[in-house]
This record gives sequence, structure tokens and C-alpha cells, in this order.
Amino acid sequence: MSIVTRAAVGRPGAKAWEITELQLDEPRAHEVRVKIMAAGLCHSDDHVIKAANPGRMMFVGGHEGSGIVESAGPDVTRVSEGDRVVLSYIPACGVCRPCSTGHSSMCVKGLNAGTGMFEDGTWRFHEDGTDVGGFCTLGTFSQYAVVSEYSVVPLRIDFQDIPWEVLCLTGCGVPTGWGSSVYAGGVQVGDAVVIFGAGGVGSNAVQGARFAGAQHVVVVDPVEFKREMATTVFGATQAFATAQEAHDYVNAVTWGQLADKVILTPDVVTEEMLNAAVQMTGKGGKVQVTALGHMGENNMTFRAGALITYHRQVRGALAGDSNLMYDIPKLLSLYKTGQLKLDELVTRKYALDEINQGYQDMNDGKNIRGVIIHEH
Amino acid sequence: MGMTTRAAVCRKAGEPWEITELELDDPQAGEILVKFHVAGLCHSDDHVQKGDAPMRMPMVGGHEGAGVVEAVGPAVTRVTVGDHVTCSFIPVCGKCRYCATGRQNLCDAGRNAETGLLATGQFRFHQNGEDFGGLCALGTFSQYAVVHEYSVVKIPEWIGFDVAALVACGVPTGWGSAVRAGDVRAGQTVVIYGAGGVGMNAVQGARFAGAKNVVVVDPVEFKRETAKVFGATHTFATAEEAFEFVRETTWGELADRAIITVGILHDKVIADAINVIGKTGQVTITAVGGGHFDTNSGILLGYGRKIQGSIYGGCSPLVDVPLLIGLYEAGDLKLEELITRRYALDEINQGYQDMLDGKNVRGVIVHEH
Repeated sequence: MSIVTRAAVGRPGAKAWEITELQLDEPRAHEVRVKIMAAGLCHSDDHVIKAANPGRMMFVGGHEGSGIVESAGPDVTRVSEGDRVVLSYIPACGVCRPCSTGHSSMCVKGLNAGTGMFEDGTWRFHEDGTDVGGFCTLGTFSQYAVVSEYSVVPLRIDFQDIPWEVLCLTGCGVPTGWGSSVYAGGVQVGDAVVIFGAGGVGSNAVQGARFAGAQHVVVVDPVEFKREMATTVFGATQAFATAQEAHDYVNAVTWGQLADKVILTPDVVTEEMLNAAVQMTGKGGKVQVTALGHMGENNMTFRAGALITYHRQVRGALAGDSNLMYDIPKLLSLYKTGQLKLDELVTRKYALDEINQGYQDMNDGKNIRGVIIHEH
Repeated sequence: MGMTTRAAVCRKAGEPWEITELELDDPQAGEILVKFHVAGLCHSDDHVQKGDAPMRMPMVGGHEGAGVVEAVGPAVTRVTVGDHVTCSFIPVCGKCRYCATGRQNLCDAGRNAETGLLATGQFRFHQNGEDFGGLCALGTFSQYAVVHEYSVVKIPEWIGFDVAALVACGVPTGWGSAVRAGDVRAGQTVVIYGAGGVGMNAVQGARFAGAKNVVVVDPVEFKRETAKVFGATHTFATAEEAFEFVRETTWGELADRAIITVGILHDKVIADAINVIGKTGQVTITAVGGGHFDTNSGILLGYGRKIQGSIYGGCSPLVDVPLLIGLYEAGDLKLEELITRRYALDEINQGYQDMLDGKNVRGVIVHEH
């Protein structure tokens, strides 16, 4: 039997979230219905709703979430009713080529992230006969969602007391930032690292770089509050408002050798930022691009020769090349032992009805991360 | 004391190579006098002559060369008089951060490539009171040159100077673009754009590294045919044909690696290479030229793509030059087949014209003394 759920949706052409009631189908084979307890306000959802895409179908926002499995469809083996879970923003089927080679952030089942369509070509959310997709085939801005069992990570017994608002962030922002330093960025002991943007993703890139043994963890963020958090809480060694200041500082402390790794975790990757990042990278160094640019805008326009003489690399990655089935429990265990700061990521909590205020606060630079606490 | 030497020089970007006589100083501390027997006609020298890569002028061309050590200055330890050597177009000081961490291709002593200034802060080539630099602090288009001992690698006496000259730049740069910087692994599908003196060695490297498909894109039929000799499994005249083949043969997963070794880097080949690689794929860019990216950085994210710039193919000359010569001696690496034509120094402009006309994999200058 289907149920009714309240959700924040983006209608075609709309630039703001609207709270509405949707019908939610029963889970089918390999699917589970999750009662969503908390959902993170990640910038990606804001990118999607603000993008100039008039042909976009109506969708339920939210791809960071934590909750409880309420019911399981046929053939589900990974979780059972009553399990506490974190929703992973990318599924991990465990059998495709990317999963089989340790790159589950590119699992082939992630194909429908943009439409929220399930593998059988149908949708579980509906409004008066209209299909509604969940972002990343999740839709955590809904009180309830039906998702693939490949998109949920069950929590060990010792993780049961972790607050929902902390858990939900480990579905995307935390591993994406952490992995941008530790995996995709390949930060090594003694490195000089520059991180652009110290929000819900970048703060975790800072923690990852510190863990990986970087000597210099330099943050660039125009917002004073975020620079303050980066240096006093998350482990940045220096923070600057502008790229130029960071460039000059890194140039000085490395005696002209420049940065080993530059990691881009801002709200939007601009052409100016990408150029500054390349110029700030020393011989054999790497620029790791984690955040999105404005859709439809060519922000990568620099001369390829800039990579050659200094043997530089520019790369991208989803989830920082983390493997979420492994990394979510790993990050939670680091949190449990007091080595990873997650409570400090949650700046404000909102009711679902306050979601547009939450995104306004994010865009005003007031939040490291805002979180929706669902009511049921 | 000094001496005179005949050399091909460029006085101003855009002017053809001019053969002239230069005065050559004696080697100072750390420096050696090399009698060059053979020099390779690499595209990079042409870039300098055309002004694509602005450098201090006047300049003695040539950064691929092999010869014999004629004299050594004080404090030279790596070679002695009579040693046969090939050049390394990036010097290896052995003590900077990059040498100390196994990345000799990034040696800090390479900073004078564009001026030809030696580590002592002086020039050794002169004419009527004017200083001439040697390209990459070498200048192999001269019968003789004074270079730093950091810029040469000793080779066995029984190796021909012609093949040894190519091991100074084109061979390791291409080889490394597949094996080192390019990170080609067994079973992979690799697309190589441009099969000249560098790209042909990327083909050999990719084959050695165990690639399943070594796909070459080159508009010149002669080079496509020659690429098959070096181990290419499939060759195409256009990037579009190669893309269709790769998509089909990988069942849509696309290529693992793309390597750009074209003569002149341009926007289209960069875009073609990014588009031909699949998830976890890597583009390695070795070519020189003015090509730009023109895309949204998001194209790197979904597929976790990497773009690796490559100098010397990521090779460490003191390791990889002897390694490549050893493979050649064992019959596992083709070097003689790279040399299409031999020229006298006076024919250098014809040699570059032949290169631009697509007639040569590599032309070489055979010096007379």
C-alpha cells in the first residue's frame, strides 16, 4: 500500500523549494522504504534547483540523509526492517566494473542520479498521477523515501547512539571532503595543501589533509566565520580570504616550491579560481576538482601548457573517490574515537518548512552545514 | 684558449636556421666539452625557431645529441675524457628536492632551458662579443658544445650515436608518456594522438606496459603504417574514427588512457582526448603548443578523469636512459626504425621541412668534424 509523505520539491522552472504532499509507492524488489530522520542541506541541491533548465521534471530534493528502514521489498538482503541507516548519495552495487576495482563512487547504478528513475523505468514518488524523481534516486527532503538497497549503509551496533544530524552528513559531504584529500587528492606526509572553500565539504577536506600528514593546510574562503572554524576547529594551519594571499603565503613557506595539492571544494568552481589553483601548484603537483562549476559555463579554459613544464595534474572525482560502503563506517568510527569532528559541522537545524531559509543561510555564508530534522 | 665550432643558430624567432661559426669557451668547473656526432631534429626546436615557445635569442638549436667527451673542467666527477655520452634535455643535479625524491624530470637545474645559461651564470658560445645560449643549456646543432656534466648520461661505446641521440629526448619522453606519466597498465585500451618521434615511443611503451588495444590517430598514412611496426594494434586518420572504434570495442566503457604526442598541441585534440576516456581514465599531455582547454570542469567529475601534464614523460634520465638502451640492445625496443632520414648540418632547414611535411618519424643531423 502506498503512503503519503511531505516533501520539499522543485517544480519545473521554480527557483525555490515548495513543501507539498506526495504519494509514495511500496518498495519493489531490492528496494526499501526509509523513514528519513535528518537531511543535510548540500550545495548540489541548490545547484539543481537554480540551474536554468526549463525542461527539468519535478523532483524531490535531498541526497544526504539518515533514517530507519521501515519496510523492505522482495529480495532485499543488505538490510532489514528496523535497521538504522545512512543513505549513500551514490549506490554501490558491488558487481560492476567501477565497484569491482575499488571505485564505487562511479557505480553504474548511479546512472539515474539526475532523474531519480528506478532501474525498471518507473518512479516511486507521485503527485496526482505525475511521476516525481528523488535527487540521486533518494529524495531525503521527504519524510519518507523508497530507495535502492544499494543506496543504504547499515549502522553497526556501536553507531546507534550517534545523532541523526551527524549521521546524515556522512552520506555525502563528509566522505566527499575527506576523500578529496585522502584518496583523490593523494595528500602525503609533509605536503603543502591549499583548500578552496571551507563549508560542509571543505571542512572535511581540511580534516583529511591534516590526518594524511600535511605540513601546511591552507584554507581560502571569503567568509570569516568559515576561516575561523577551519583554523580553530578542523585543523587548518592558515586561512585567507583571497587566492592571492594564499599564493603568496604558500610561495613563502615552501621557498618558492608552491603547493603539492590544491583542492577545490567551494560553492562554485569559477574560471578565476581554477586558473589560480593551477598557478599555485608546484612541480609534480595536483589540482583536485571536487565542486561543480556553473552549468553550461566553460570555466576550464587555461592553456594546457600550464600542466606540462611543471608536470601538473588536474583531476576530478565524485565523493573524493571514496568507497561509501567502507568509508562511511570508517569515518563514523573515527568520530566515535574522538578523532574526527562531525558535531561541529552542524551549524543550524531547520524544520522542513524552513528549508528555503536554510538555503538562504547557506548562501549567506552563515552555515558550515544546515540540517533538516524531519517530523513524522 | 677556446675553439671555433660550426652551428645552426636562430637569431630571431621566425628566421630560418643559419649555419655560422661560433667561438666556444673552455669548460669551467662542472662543465665538459662534447664533440657531437649526431643530433636529433625534434619538433621542440622548430617551436623555438617559429616563436611558439619564446626563448632568449640568439640560440644554438638542438637538445637531442650524442657524442664523445673531449675535455673536462675542474671538479667533474660523472664522466671522463673519451666517454661516450648522450644528452639529457633536463639536467640532473642529484640534490634538489625533485632529484632527491626520484623525479629527475623536474630537476631545479632545468630552469635555464629557455636561456641556455649554464649553472655558472655564463654562456660558452659567442660571436663578435655576443653571447649565444644553447637550447636546454645544450645546443646539439653545434659540432662542439660546452655543457654541464648534469646534462649528459654515459652510454656504452658500442651503441651507435644516431640511436643514442634519440634517447636524449624523444624516446624517453614518448616511452614515459605511456609507462611513467601515462600509467598504462596491462589489459588497457590506450589511444595515442600523433605518431612521430615521440608518439612512436609512446606506442612502444604502451605495448610494453601490456595494453590490449594500442590505438593510433595520425593524419599521415606513412606514420600510421610505421606505427604498426612499433606495435599499434589499430590506426585511424581521425579522432572521430578512433572514438567510434574505442566505444565499440570496449562496450561503451571507453579508453583507459589517452596520450597526446602531436606535433603542435591544439584545442581540438585536447577535447578529443578527454572525450575518449572512460571512468578512472587519464589523459597525458606531452605535446608543446598553444592549445587550451575549453570545457566545464564538471567533465572531470562524473568519470573521475585525470589530466596529467608530462615533462620527459615523467622519466628520470639517469635511470631510464640506460634502461632504454638496455632494451634496445636486447632487441626489445626499436630505435633504428625511428630514423627516417640523415642530414648534413647545412641541410637542417630541409630536415625540418621534411618533418613538417610528415615525411619523417625522426630526421637526424650527422655532424662532420
